[in-house]
Amino acid sequence: MEHIEIGRPMKILVCIKQVPDPETPVMVDEQGRVVRPKKNLKFWMNRADEFAVEEAVLIKEARSGITVDALTVGPEHATQVLERAMGMGADNSVHILLQETDFLNPFNTASYIAAYASNRGYDLILTGVMGEDHMQGQVGPMLAERLGFPCATSVISEQIHDEQGTVYVEREIEGGLRAALELDLPAVLTVQTGINKPRYPTLSGLLRAKKQKALVVPSHTLSGSKQQEKVVWACYPGKSRAGLMLKGRQRDKAVRLLEILEKKALI
Amino acid sequence: MTQSIVIIAECYAGRPSPVTYELMTLAEKIRQARPMPVKAVVLGDEVERAAEEIAQTTGASVLGIQNPHLTYYNGELYKDLLHQCLPEMNPAFVLISQTTQGMDFAPGLAVRLGAGSITGVTGVSQDKTNLCFSRDAYNGKIVLKMLSLMGTTVLTVQPGAFKSMEPEIATTPEPVEIRLSTTESKSTRTLGIIRGKQKDAGLAEADVLVAAGRGIGSRENVALIKQLAALFPRSAVAGSRPVCDMGWLEYKKQVGLTGATVSPGLYIACGISGAMAHRVGMQSSGFIVAISTDPNAAIFNIADVCICEDLTTFIPVFIKACRGKRGAVTPS
Repeated sequence: MEHIEIGRPMKILVCIKQVPDPETPVMVDEQGRVVRPKKNLKFWMNRADEFAVEEAVLIKEARSGITVDALTVGPEHATQVLERAMGMGADNSVHILLQETDFLNPFNTASYIAAYASNRGYDLILTGVMGEDHMQGQVGPMLAERLGFPCATSVISEQIHDEQGTVYVEREIEGGLRAALELDLPAVLTVQTGINKPRYPTLSGLLRAKKQKALVVPSHTLSGSKQQEKVVWACYPGKSRAGLMLKGRQRDKAVRLLEILEKKALI
Repeated sequence: MTQSIVIIAECYAGRPSPVTYELMTLAEKIRQARPMPVKAVVLGDEVERAAEEIAQTTGASVLGIQNPHLTYYNGELYKDLLHQCLPEMNPAFVLISQTTQGMDFAPGLAVRLGAGSITGVTGVSQDKTNLCFSRDAYNGKIVLKMLSLMGTTVLTVQPGAFKSMEPEIATTPEPVEIRLSTTESKSTRTLGIIRGKQKDAGLAEADVLVAAGRGIGSRENVALIKQLAALFPRSAVAGSRPVCDMGWLEYKKQVGLTGATVSPGLYIACGISGAMAHRVGMQSSGFIVAISTDPNAAIFNIADVCICEDLTTFIPVFIKACRGKRGAVTPS
C-alpha cells in the first residue's frame, strides 16, 4: 500500500470511455456478430464518465494544488473524449492507444490502466459506474484489485479528508438507501450518475486540449492480460409480451390505442 | 478434486434474500449440463439461521462465515474472506447476484481468484460442448452469448432473470459448517446505512403510471407526460434514471433498479429505451404500452402495445382523440 504524504498536492486520475451514440442502430448479422452502420456513426463520452470527470473537477476546484489526469483506453478516435474532459477542466490527458489486434474486455482494460497508473502516485481514481454500451461495470473494481487499492462502487457522494488520508463515501444501494463507508487513500471510486451536474466544456479548455496533446501510450508497451472470455453469438432478445405494433398514421394509432385501453377498461 | 458450483448467498435482516434462490435455479441449470455439487457460502455477523435455512431449502452444503465486522456489507472483507475459502471448493462457477453488493465485490474477487468474470447473466445455453451465458448489451437491444475461457468463472446474475428455486421439502440437508472469523479489513471501514432519496408513495398507489425516459427530449416535454397522465384517474407520473439525473423529474419518481419497483394496471413508457435497469422495476405491470421513435428499442420486447412515433406529436393526437370521444373533458 502506498503512503500518502501529508501536504503533498493530490493527484486524481479519471478513467473515461468513448462509446457509440446509443441512438445509432445496432444489428446482428447472420454470423451472430454485432454490426453497426459505419456511416455517420457518432461517438461520445460514456455518460457515467462525464459525472466522474465533473466530480474530479469539483474536487480540484474546492482546494488548491490538485491535478486531474483524464485517461482513456481506445482506438485513435477515442482522443475526442479526452479533449472533452480537458474542456471540462482536466489538466492532462493520457491515451492508451489500442492496436487493431487488441481484444477489449474489462480485465484487459483494467490491466492496461493499472500498468500505466501504478507508481504514478495517484491518490484517487474515479470512473463511471458502468459503460452504457456493454453495461458491465467491471473496469473500476478490477482496476482497484490490480492496484491493491480499496474500492467503492456506485458512489453518490464523497468527501476527501486529505489530512487523515481517507475518503468518506456514500454508495447508492437498493431500496433508496445508501451505505456509508470510509476508505483509506489511495482508492478507486466508481461514480453513479446524478452525483453532480456535468458542465459543458469551455471553448478555452477545448483549445488548450487541442494544443496540449494527449500523452499517447501504445497498449503493446503495457502488460495486458490474456483473453478470458469471448462472445460466441449475438442475437436479438425474445419478446415476453404480445408487442402489437400499431400501424397507420398517428391519428389511426391514437384511435386504435384508445380502443384497446377502453376494451381492457384501462381508461 | 471435483469441481463445484458455489453460490454466494445474499442476506437481508439475517435471512437469505430471494435472489439467493434465483442463483440456485441457475446452479441447477448448469448442473443439468455439467453435473457437479452445489455449495453455498453465506457471510455475515450472525449467519447460523440463514445458513440453516439455505441448507434446508436447497439441500446444498452450506458454509457460513461469521465475522463480527460484517454487520454491514464490506467489499474488502468479502473479497478477503471469499479468497480464503473458495479455492478449497475448486469452483468452476461462482454465482453472485447482480445487486449493488454483488457488482461491488464480484469483479475484484474474479481478479483475485484468477477467474473469468461475466456480469448481468440472464440465461444459460449449450454451444457444442461449452456452456454459454447470455447477457444484455446496448440498452437491452442485443443479447450476447458469452463463453468463459477460464477454469473458474465468476458470474453475476441479473435479479429476476431466473425464478426462485422451489423449496425441496424432502431433502435431507447436509450439515451446515460455521466458521468463526475475526479478520478485519485494512482499508475499508463501514459506517452504516442511511436513508437516501425518498420514495414516492404515489407511485405504488397509482393504477396507471405514465413514465418519461430520455427520449422525451427536453424538460419542457414533461408537461406532455403530465397531460397524458391526467387522462387517467388514480394516475401518476414516473421516470427513468437519466430523466431524474437531468433534474427533469425528482428522484422519488424514479422507477427501476435503483428506484421504485412498481406494478400498476397500466404502464405507459414514453421515450424509454428499456435497459434492464429500468425493466426490472416495471416489467410485472398489468398492461404495458411503449412509445418510442426507435423501432428496435428493447422496451418493445416487453410491451403489450408498441407505438413507434415521436411522442411530442403523438401524445397531443392521442389526447385529442380521448377528448373527442368523451365530449371535450378537459384534463386538469
